[in-house]
Amino acid sequence: MSELDTKIIEYLTENARLSFRKIANQTERSTDTIINHYNKMMKNGEIRGSTVIVDIDKIGYEGTAAFQIDVTASNDVKSEGILQTLIEMPNIIVATKTVGEHDLLALAVIHDVKHYQQISRDIAEIKGVKNMTSCIWPGNEKILPKYFII
Amino acid sequence: MSRRKLDEIDVAILRNLQKDARTKYSDIAAQCSVSVDTIIKRFKKLKDQGIITNTTLLLDPRKFGEEVIANFSIDVEPSSVDEVLEFLRKQNGLCFATQAMGRYDIFSIATRRNMNEMNSLKETIQSHNMVREVRTNIWVDQFLLCPQNFELEPLIGGP
Repeated sequence: MSELDTKIIEYLTENARLSFRKIANQTERSTDTIINHYNKMMKNGEIRGSTVIVDIDKIGYEGTAAFQIDVTASNDVKSEGILQTLIEMPNIIVATKTVGEHDLLALAVIHDVKHYQQISRDIAEIKGVKNMTSCIWPGNEKILPKYFII
Repeated sequence: MSRRKLDEIDVAILRNLQKDARTKYSDIAAQCSVSVDTIIKRFKKLKDQGIITNTTLLLDPRKFGEEVIANFSIDVEPSSVDEVLEFLRKQNGLCFATQAMGRYDIFSIATRRNMNEMNSLKETIQSHNMVREVRTNIWVDQFLLCPQNFELEPLIGGP
C-alpha cells in the first residue's frame, strides 16, 4: 500500500461520503488517480466496503449480545452452513467461525431482553447448533472502532 | 431513552448507507420518489439528531498486517471490572472491550500481527491480578460484518 492509499483510507474512514474530487484536491492528485487507487483497494479486499455508523440506542436498540456457539460433531453438519444462516438472520452484525473454546461467534443488536431471548431461541433452532453461551452489554460501547463497528 | 419514529424515507437512507455509505443521494431519491433535496435534508436531520454518527470504511485488518483476530471472554474478581477494562484499553491491539452480563464479566476483541503476539496479549491479560480467567477464540477463515442486517422497519410509526 502506498502513502496515497493510506491517505485515502484516512479521509474515508472519517467520512466515507467524501468526494473523490475533494480527496484529489487535498492530496494534489487527479480525481482519476484517487478513483483508481480506491477501486484497487476494493478489488484487493483491503477495503471491504463502507457503512453508516448508527447510534443504536437512538433507534430503539438497548444493547448488543455475543453468542458463542458450539456445533454438533457430525458428518452432515457443516459450520459453513450455520455461518451462512447466521449472517442472513436479522440483527446479526458480525459472524465468524472460531478456533478455541467455541466454533462460531455471532454479535447481534438487541431491542430488549425479550428480543434477546428470541434471537437466542432462533440460533438454538438452527440445525447443528449443539450449545451456546452468550452475554449482553448495554448501549453502544465504542472503543477504537477502526475495524469493528459495533 | 429517546426513541424517534423513523419513516420510510429515513429507513431508505439508513438501509442504503448501511450497505454502501457512498450511495448517491439521487439513487435513494429515485427509490423513494422524492427530490434529491429531500434526501439531503433528511440525511442532515438524521445527523443532527445523532442517529447517524458517522460514515466510515469497512477495512480488513488482515490486509494491514494484523493477521490474527480473536475475542476474549474474561472473568474478573468482584467489583474490579472498571479497573480491568481500563487496563485492557491500554493494551496494543485491543479493538473493543466492554462490561458484559451473562457468562463472563468482560467481552473484548483484539487484532495482532501473529499468533505469538496474540498469545502474549492473552498472557498479559491473564497476569493482571484481578483477572480470574481468560477464554480465547481465534476468528478463522472469514469474519463477516453484516451491518445491513439492522431491522429498521419495526420502528416505522413505533412508540
